[in-house]
Amino acid sequence: MSTITSPQRTLGRPRGGGLAGAVASEWTKLWSVRNPWGCVVAGLGLMSVFTYYYAAIARINHKPIQPVANAPVTAVILVQFVVVALAMTMVTNEYANGSVRATLLWVPVRARMLLAKTLVAGGVSFVLGLVLGVLGVAIAWPAFGGHATFGLGEVASQLLKMSAYLALVAVLTVGTAVALRSEASTFAAVFFLLAALPTVLVGIGGEFLTTVNDALPQSAGNHFALGHTDPYPPEVGFCVVLGWAVLAHVVGLTVLRRRDA
Amino acid sequence: MITLRGLTKRYGDTVAVDNLTLDVREGRVTGFLGPNGAGKSTTMRMILGLDRPSRGEALIGGRPYAALRHPVREVGALLDAKALHPARSARDHLLAMARSNGIPARRVDEVLETVGLAKVARRRAGGFSLGMYQRLGVAGALLGDPRVLIFDEPVNGLDPDGVRWIRELTRNLADEGRTVFLSSHLMSEMQLTADQLVIIGRGTLLANTSMSEFLANSAATAVRVRGPEPGSIAMLRHRLESHSADPAVRVDVVSDTELVVRGTTVEFVGDVAHALAVRLHELRTMSASLEQAYMELTAESVEYAVPGSTAGANPSPRQEAQV
Repeated sequence: MSTITSPQRTLGRPRGGGLAGAVASEWTKLWSVRNPWGCVVAGLGLMSVFTYYYAAIARINHKPIQPVANAPVTAVILVQFVVVALAMTMVTNEYANGSVRATLLWVPVRARMLLAKTLVAGGVSFVLGLVLGVLGVAIAWPAFGGHATFGLGEVASQLLKMSAYLALVAVLTVGTAVALRSEASTFAAVFFLLAALPTVLVGIGGEFLTTVNDALPQSAGNHFALGHTDPYPPEVGFCVVLGWAVLAHVVGLTVLRRRDA
Repeated sequence: MITLRGLTKRYGDTVAVDNLTLDVREGRVTGFLGPNGAGKSTTMRMILGLDRPSRGEALIGGRPYAALRHPVREVGALLDAKALHPARSARDHLLAMARSNGIPARRVDEVLETVGLAKVARRRAGGFSLGMYQRLGVAGALLGDPRVLIFDEPVNGLDPDGVRWIRELTRNLADEGRTVFLSSHLMSEMQLTADQLVIIGRGTLLANTSMSEFLANSAATAVRVRGPEPGSIAMLRHRLESHSADPAVRVDVVSDTELVVRGTTVEFVGDVAHALAVRLHELRTMSASLEQAYMELTAESVEYAVPGSTAGANPSPRQEAQV
């Protein structure tokens, strides 16, 4: 049996690969399983329900008039976990079934492999954020019943900021997942940082704990996307989230380089 | 060519791989043997850049795996064939692999055809049998038409047809001038496939030799001599024992008309018999099987031995095998 055909013609000359190849590979892997589609559907559902109630409550309680995109931006407190799930499983699934070894055989440079996952998770989360944001505005606008303002520039700016926040949350999650490897511990760590800790700090209250909370990604992202000028300018809020994402990425890369696959 | 230089892996106080230095050359099938826990998989993972050596280096064509620009085009590896996402189809798995190394999609269909998975290429891999997983793993190893192939237990779970397919495949790959490095627990299969043997036990190199040399040097390889006259057979025995300057020559008496001589060649025994004018009815070499020769070598380095077991120490009943 002659099993090896001469594949030179099919194979072509060596080209591609590198970071572009690694990104293409991650993209192919992501959409060839059902999980990300589930995340997209969950995101659409959560966003619809949350923005409807947010706007309806604002109308019923005669709250002060606010920008319509405040509804989707506030929904991020929940919707961000859809992005967390999507980004996390890109890493933890591979550690659970051992296919991370295949990934590292294809892309052996650790920094390149991590960067590829980061770019795909971040990019998909950014676009998903925009889609969810537009949906949120579309649902919230009639539900506000006149208790909101609509300015195209304002909506665009808020949704872009919200999507940037979601992209950074995805980056933070990928870094954490690479460092911790298991789904349970990654979700626990990210949930603690993004939800549990802020709730506790705000619940106890006090000037010091509020300051600490303002340095956490969740509140910093909120200040950034809602355009708060207190306690710091919105740009600082962005930098705080960016800092957390970079920190998680660097920790993830360090673990990835040191620990055996 | 795969080059190992002082390759060492420690886990705390345990040395899994201890100072391995060897070359795995092209154009041959090199069998990699050793008891469970001997460090075979760890060695392969270090060659492939998955595990970091504690000391030393593993090079492919003179460079570490991670330094290869298109690793899939240079090295084909089959490690744990089941280590893939169960919900992903075989084709999508290979497509992701191809894109990572700039390999066109039509090559994916080509290798799926080669390994006989074209019909199930779009089914979720989670429903595959172990044999289908192995074929998918082989497809991945062949995808980039690499010069170096590393197979860890490739015949695991394959039916006799599949085992034969792997044997012919590895043979062809080596004949095309590629480097084929393959581990297996199946001694009979390895004896049919490998030209060269690398044997490790407890992480250290026990043997790095050609298959024929390894079998010839086994204590299980012996010369059997039989004749009709007990008196002249006794004379032959006496001459062989006394004449031999080489203390390695040992004569076992099977019966008064039959001897088994170890540590020498059939030519030597024949010449001595001729000089003494001893009538013979049988004079032949009994070749050791790879299993016997291997058991002799690794008897002391079995990691998880059964207490009181002498497995390997006495390779009997003897089987006679032809090389």
